[in-house]
Amino acid sequence: MDSPSAQPVPQDPPQQRRSAPQRRVAITAACLGLVVVVAVVDYLTGVDLSVSLLYLVPVCWCSWSAGRRAGVLVAAASAEAWLTAVLLDGAPIQHPWVLVCNTLTLGGIFTLVATLMATLQGTQAVLEAKVVTRTAKLGREVAERRWAEAQLRQAHAELQRTQMQLIEAAKMEAVGRLAAGVAHEVKNPLMTLGMGTDYFLQRRASSSDEATLLQDMKDAVHRATGIIDLMLDFSKPRPLRLAPEDLNAIAESALGLLRLQLLKQHIEVRRLLDPALPQLPLDRTRIEHVLVNLFTNAVQAMPEGGTLTVRSAFQQAAGTDDSPAVILEVEDSGPGIPHEHLPKVFEPFYTTKPPGQGTGLGLAIVHRILQIHGGSIALGNRPDGGARATLTFNLHPQPPPP
Amino acid sequence: MKRILIIDDEASITRSVKLNLEALGAYEVYQENDPRTAVHTAREVRPDLILLDVMMPDLDGGEVAAELQKTPGLQHVPIIFLTAIVSNEETQGREASIGGHDFLAKPVDLDVLVNTIESHLED
Repeated sequence: MDSPSAQPVPQDPPQQRRSAPQRRVAITAACLGLVVVVAVVDYLTGVDLSVSLLYLVPVCWCSWSAGRRAGVLVAAASAEAWLTAVLLDGAPIQHPWVLVCNTLTLGGIFTLVATLMATLQGTQAVLEAKVVTRTAKLGREVAERRWAEAQLRQAHAELQRTQMQLIEAAKMEAVGRLAAGVAHEVKNPLMTLGMGTDYFLQRRASSSDEATLLQDMKDAVHRATGIIDLMLDFSKPRPLRLAPEDLNAIAESALGLLRLQLLKQHIEVRRLLDPALPQLPLDRTRIEHVLVNLFTNAVQAMPEGGTLTVRSAFQQAAGTDDSPAVILEVEDSGPGIPHEHLPKVFEPFYTTKPPGQGTGLGLAIVHRILQIHGGSIALGNRPDGGARATLTFNLHPQPPPP
Repeated sequence: MKRILIIDDEASITRSVKLNLEALGAYEVYQENDPRTAVHTAREVRPDLILLDVMMPDLDGGEVAAELQKTPGLQHVPIIFLTAIVSNEETQGREASIGGHDFLAKPVDLDVLVNTIESHLED
């Protein structure tokens, strides 16, 4: 994630900055005009002190809005205007120096007021600028904190994902060690049993019962070998032989392998296959194994017949990180999967089938094969009954977990 | 009659393979259960083919095969490895092999074993 860009400090647009001196000139001119108006009023009312205080209005306004210099100028102009009004009024003057002193005093007071107002305005402007800067800084800090929090959340999610992968890898390693150990310890005695059975099968059996018994023993050895082989393949799957494949064609081929069983159990197959699927990098044999496994589960869930639906589709954002993916759904019209079983269906050796009929490795292997293809599988129930397996094949597969 | 030597640390396996192959009437089968004396036995027996277990104590199948190949007169004797820690799927259609030799996953069916032996003896 990128670092957040610093929030800009609010500034006046250039055009406004260029017109500021003109604004000051305009205000000064308006204030001088006001001074003239006050002087006229002053003259007409006989130069009264209370009217003279009106000069403070343009002085204050100008120094506040146009700065100290303009304020002092208007203050001087006000003193001058007051003097002119007094002279025009023609009232008797005790001594010319009194008039000079009064003018200077009034001018001094006006200048002092102008300076005070300008200083006050300057202080306020500084304070305002500080507030703006501080607000911007706070904004940046808040944005940085939000960014850091988002980073933290992302890191936490990644950590959880890695942890899950590590747990998964540790589980696989344990299963692998177990499988290799069990394979060695069980397959050697199975070899002795198998060879012994073969020996007696070669010699003509004395009765058909004996022959059946020997064949049953041979089948039992094969079944036990099959389970150990499943464990070995699950724990250390051989490398994938990837080639561009058409998933629809693999689904058809897997359905073909179960044709007889589908006919026998009166199961109708609904094919909703998207003809425009892109080709995917797949190990055909292993994906066919996955599909045969899922179709067999579906068939077993419908002993009295039903509908097996196979649906494929290309979706733009169905894959990991919303990447494009190909989806394949396998649905049956059986009773569905009890909710309490759903979280465990992909665990190795978890089975709900009667003893001897399920190893509990079928779906675990399916899950594993999808995983090493960089895809995924989800199992759930349809709202209108029956189970649904959803296989997702990323168009650009991620590297598989260790 | 072709001579076959089977080397496996489990006596029950060597015994059952010997009984089966000899019952066919085409082979003379010798058994060895100690990998440390396997090369010595092979020198004495001069077999046409050796069946060799992979996982054995003290000396594994690979080491025994290496010793056999250094022994004059035994360099060209075909070896078929028998291993318990691979699945059947891994042995089928597999281009790779152990040191250029075939290998079969235990438990081996008698007909598969005989077919493999015959294919080597014909060569």
